[in-house]
Amino acid sequence: MKRYDLIIVGAGPSGLSAGIEAAKKGLRTVVFDENEKPGGQLFKQIHKFFGSKEHRAKVRGYVIGQQLLEEADEAGVEVVLNATVIGLYQDKEVVVKRGGQIEHYKGNAVIIATGAAENMVTFPGWTLPGVIGAGAAQTMMNLHGVLPGKRVLMLGSGNVGLVVSFQLEQCGCEVVALVDAAPRVGGYGVHAAKVARTGVPFYLSHTIVEAEGTDCVTGVTIAEVDNAFHFIPGTEKHFDVDTICLAVGLSPMSQLLKMAGCKMVDDPKKGGQVPVCDPHGRTSLPGVYVAGDVAGIEEASSAMIEGRMAGIAAAEFLGYIGKDEMESELASLDKALDGLRQGMFAPQNRGKQITETEEGIEVSQNLLLHGYVADDELERYPGVTHKAGVHPVIECTQNIPCNPCQDACKKGCISIGSKITSLPIVVEGSECINCGMCVAGCSGQAIFLVDEDCGDGTATVTLPYEFLPPPEVGTRGKGLGRDGKAVCDAEVVSVKSMKAFDKTNLLTIRVPKEYAMKARFFKAV
Amino acid sequence: MNSVNDRSRDIGPFLPGPDDDMIICRCEEITKGEIRQAVHDGMWTLTEIRRYLRTGMGLCQGQTCGRLVKGIVARELGISPAELEPATSRVPMRPIEMEVFANEVPEEKEVGSYED
Repeated sequence: MKRYDLIIVGAGPSGLSAGIEAAKKGLRTVVFDENEKPGGQLFKQIHKFFGSKEHRAKVRGYVIGQQLLEEADEAGVEVVLNATVIGLYQDKEVVVKRGGQIEHYKGNAVIIATGAAENMVTFPGWTLPGVIGAGAAQTMMNLHGVLPGKRVLMLGSGNVGLVVSFQLEQCGCEVVALVDAAPRVGGYGVHAAKVARTGVPFYLSHTIVEAEGTDCVTGVTIAEVDNAFHFIPGTEKHFDVDTICLAVGLSPMSQLLKMAGCKMVDDPKKGGQVPVCDPHGRTSLPGVYVAGDVAGIEEASSAMIEGRMAGIAAAEFLGYIGKDEMESELASLDKALDGLRQGMFAPQNRGKQITETEEGIEVSQNLLLHGYVADDELERYPGVTHKAGVHPVIECTQNIPCNPCQDACKKGCISIGSKITSLPIVVEGSECINCGMCVAGCSGQAIFLVDEDCGDGTATVTLPYEFLPPPEVGTRGKGLGRDGKAVCDAEVVSVKSMKAFDKTNLLTIRVPKEYAMKARFFKAV
Repeated sequence: MNSVNDRSRDIGPFLPGPDDDMIICRCEEITKGEIRQAVHDGMWTLTEIRRYLRTGMGLCQGQTCGRLVKGIVARELGISPAELEPATSRVPMRPIEMEVFANEVPEEKEVGSYED
């Protein structure tokens, strides 16, 4: 039986991070993954990540995947693909299916980083072809280059539902509705806003009555639900669709840990059955660690930190580093993880209704109900200011741990301060040079450069545009409001794309000046 | 005492529901009505339900329906899903052909020609 210092199950963000950290400290490390490609969900994530510089903020997910693989390779981590771990036995014996045979390995330490699986909901017709998980849609689009459908209804307004809706639109699908049984949008407001402004209607407090079709999905009916999630008669709405995407949460894939005899707990806040573990991933079994979603559903940035923690803890367990070294390294990671777990969407705030920002500003209810900040709510946020000439308008209205914008502006126009969840403010007296770095650098696509009065009755709005191909200069069309409805005529006056923008094109449109604060998207007609 | 194990508890009669014919476990084609009926037949744990109906025993190994079945059983028993003992986890974690499952690399041979 082959023995490794460390066996890691799962080559996603946490597993790879754990492997890199451990191998750097001298552990002979192998990572098994059942998929043919490593990276877990990272290679499906084409959007820019939130966070701070040290969390690789504003880097697109698939690039983070590439970076992790390179680092793993450099550190000497052996990544074995198409290798399904089918069992974890006592004394850390790992049973792997590879090719047509079963292999046994022993790990002096084991890290389980198996991630999570998508939840499903049932409704009449839910077994029809065309009802798919949002993750499946992402796999089809971003890994295999296959369009999941033409007209799609998305169920679920968490970050997965919002991000995948946007990606479906980028692929050329029409998202006819974004539906959630909850009364409020669950994901980041900025993700919702970028979907809403393309014209996707949000139906909160609604869910699917039934999917129609005999051989495949041809339509869907939704209806409003009351507080007890019962349908309200007469509120039915019908859509012709060929695809229904479900983004209704994730469940940790923790079966290997249960099988091995780890103490488990069913914690709805963590997404289901998870191992009991300390903050650094130590389970009840000495030498068995967990990292990432399998220990509780969060997101990739925290999974990477948890992975590094587990790798360090395993290195100390096996004597590759001393206790002092471990503790000082873990302390800095604790701080980083704590930073990510702040703000309105922090794990401890799950399920809570937050009505005010940390600054004491009322939260936009329209954003929670319809996916966009209403015109009359916008002015109360510190990123929204007015002055002559081009200046940034930052429509970032919720406390989330993210701050690339303040580094993006070399002129110091934007400040978040030391607290990473604070709302960005436009620094008074600062001079905007219209470089566009803030627009491209905002992972939430929430920054616009506006010249409210060009002197000829028009205004210009520069917006982030991640659709291909971008319209050409001179294209005439409509300026769309935050709700995605046409509000005015618009003409494209500039299209900027630079390497530093990392594939976000900057579109500048000219609109009548009374629409300077209203037009936030462009549609050619 | 855990209320799931207190089998003297009265959970009331089986009441037919409008969505009883909805398939929950797709692999084994088990309906919601069958699962609810099984609870009234005395199957109060997921292990019992699994042996009685074969829910979660098919190709996906309960990846899709595990949570759904748990919710239905819990509702029928009038408890929270978190109170219900999860089903046993067993090797193999993923469906696997018997031919492969039985094809163990012999102990004396060093596995993993991919490395050396």
